[in-house]
Amino acid sequence: MADLSPQLPKTRSTTIPFWRDIRVLGVLAQIAFVIVAVMGITWVVRNTLANLDELGESQFICRDGTSSFRCAYDFMRLDAQFDIAETPIPYEPSDSYWRALGVAAVNTLKVTVLGVILATVLGTLAGIARLSSNWLVSNLAKWYVDLMRNTPLLLQLFFLYFSVILVLPPIKEAIQPFNLPIFFSQRGINIPAPVFMPSFAVWLAFVVLGIIQAQVLWIILGRQEELTGKSSNRFRWALVSFLLVVGIGWYVSGSLTSTQAIMTPKSLRVREFKDLQKIMLNRLKLADLGDIELALSNGTLTQEDIDAAAFRICAQKESASEVNLTSQLRNANIPYTVKRSTRLDQATEAYANGECEILVASQSLLAAEREALEDGANHVILPIAETPVRISIPNLEGLNFVGGAKLTPEFAAILIGLVLYTGGFIAEIVRAGIQAVPKGQSEAARALGLSESQRLRLIVLPQALRVIIPPITSQYLNLAKNSTLAQAIAFPDLWTVSYTTINQSGRAIQIMLIVMGSYLSLSLIISALLNWYNRRIALVER
Amino acid sequence: MDKLETAEDIIICRNVHKWYGDFHALKGINLTVKKGEVIVIIGPSGSGKSTFIRTINRLEEHQEGEIIVDGILLSHDVRNIAEIRREVGMVFQQFNLFPHLTVLENVTLAPIHVRKWSRDHAEEVAMKWLTRVGIPEQAHKYPGQLSGGQQQRVAIARALAMEPKIMLFDEPTSALDPEMIKEVLDVMRDLARSGYTILAVTHEMGFAREVADRVIFFDGGQIVEQNTPDQFFTNPKHERTKLFLSQILHH
Repeated sequence: MADLSPQLPKTRSTTIPFWRDIRVLGVLAQIAFVIVAVMGITWVVRNTLANLDELGESQFICRDGTSSFRCAYDFMRLDAQFDIAETPIPYEPSDSYWRALGVAAVNTLKVTVLGVILATVLGTLAGIARLSSNWLVSNLAKWYVDLMRNTPLLLQLFFLYFSVILVLPPIKEAIQPFNLPIFFSQRGINIPAPVFMPSFAVWLAFVVLGIIQAQVLWIILGRQEELTGKSSNRFRWALVSFLLVVGIGWYVSGSLTSTQAIMTPKSLRVREFKDLQKIMLNRLKLADLGDIELALSNGTLTQEDIDAAAFRICAQKESASEVNLTSQLRNANIPYTVKRSTRLDQATEAYANGECEILVASQSLLAAEREALEDGANHVILPIAETPVRISIPNLEGLNFVGGAKLTPEFAAILIGLVLYTGGFIAEIVRAGIQAVPKGQSEAARALGLSESQRLRLIVLPQALRVIIPPITSQYLNLAKNSTLAQAIAFPDLWTVSYTTINQSGRAIQIMLIVMGSYLSLSLIISALLNWYNRRIALVER
Repeated sequence: MDKLETAEDIIICRNVHKWYGDFHALKGINLTVKKGEVIVIIGPSGSGKSTFIRTINRLEEHQEGEIIVDGILLSHDVRNIAEIRREVGMVFQQFNLFPHLTVLENVTLAPIHVRKWSRDHAEEVAMKWLTRVGIPEQAHKYPGQLSGGQQQRVAIARALAMEPKIMLFDEPTSALDPEMIKEVLDVMRDLARSGYTILAVTHEMGFAREVADRVIFFDGGQIVEQNTPDQFFTNPKHERTKLFLSQILHH
């Protein structure tokens, strides 16, 4: 029998000199790295401290006039004394630097969160479009991606801001695409926005109730399925019952709460909401309010007639009850004008002076206001219908849009710019992800009889996601960090306001630490969320 | 749907042609398969045998001729295609299991989404098939955690869970290690004996001899010869068949 055991080579010695030993080399490399790192950090810290010394103790003045490291951030309590163009939370120049940076941070978050969502939607659509067999669709997507990827972002932002948004027509001639209630003008973009009524809270309770009872129904039907062995389509039933409860809740919560009302002089003779319609028909001498447009075009009515006949409403600025009333008037085609006052008692005064025919507010407030009127008995209070949410539509009054939500030109430019740019990269990632799923997966899905949409939804996209998530994470991080380019078009994001703060306070190091810490936290949160998601969808292998 | 032929003939192919660009892959295939028949298709690589069985459930489109499966004409009508795919199960060389779903989810996916069964019923049927192919204990693992032979048996259970009338096997053992081929062939043998209509492209001559009702030899996109396994292996008529058999049987 042949000896199959391996022979040790004789020519090489079994002891290895340490400079060839892979274990020793590993330890040496780590020691070398630690030395270099410690030296680097020491240099940075000493340099910073030296610079601080040079700047003098003026950097660290405490409130009692002494100077100490502990007071490095005390200056942040001083008045900022500069204005911020866009304030999602209340802010005045007399507020502190802290508050100014807080406002700016909210602006950055707004751009980042909206940007990430919209860029994902746009990128996914463009990525799927690139795989389309339709020549026009796939080439449009290709040109979009190439244009975005091959030009600098800063250039795109300048182009968007100066050559697209700022050359829009003045506010009086705002562009309204397809007659939708969206207005593009030099002053930005005005869009409709939801306004939550007091009954929204009641409706939310119905939503919770709906979820609970759908869950219960789901369990009951599940038990029944087990007993009978028949499918009872429980998803459909649970959904139907949920929608039923939520739908009923929509009306019930409106009529239950009915907290809002209008006040009119008795002489107007309004007993219910419909009377407003009758009065307007009388004033305009029309049979149907839907005919206003027609009457305008054939000359039986002029715009002046309508303006004269329109109901004059007094309301407090930005009150939910105003939106509630005007959206109902709009639905009924009843013309109206609104006079807004800063406080309710000013609105009541205007009403008492006869400047308007209708005062709108919450029921309890109106009762109190009527008490204050000299001739209170001559006025009636009439509750008006309410739904949990009403849509507020922008309306040009004088030189400004009232109602709805507004995107300033700067915000619109930075948001659209970041979305278009990042969307181009995401499109390529999505396309690569879909193409990375082997053809055999689609064949197996088809052979099992799955429809094309089931194949995409159940087989291709879940697998493509594994490939898509890691590179898309870095695109989200890029978007968050690229938002600092807002400075170029003067959108007050965190970096822009921090830069102003540095110039004004002279505390570069303190502010820089705050800014770096903020962007670092934002990036870490984004990565943590996506890493968690990536782990959840990862494939299990041996 | 008109019943186009007698119930006995479950697959009818008349003069089926297919081109890939200029390449003429199928040159007029005529074949009728009876219900319950087990057919093994052999032939050199590139002879069109895989392409042929893939035209039966429209993974490949044929350009000329007609294919009727279970009385349904295979046309451009997506409803006909969907109907045929529901009745035809397929097992691939590379298994093509869905790696992001567990074994049980792989098997229940189509019954739930295509047949619209309740989850409980689908799982019950799935477990029955997983038991039949001998791996009920792997139901909650992912395909990546199984051996090749186990994966192919899951793929067979996945196709069977749709309760198809016809099973297509496209070289089901070619990607397996030798010791795993037997476990897959055992399952196929079991199916052949329990009355399924089977079309299998395979190089397993032992399997062909043992369970096939008919052996078909493909070459150059045409059916060169077909016969019972006995006659086919002992007494091949065509020169090309003799050459092929001598190459694979005496290597």
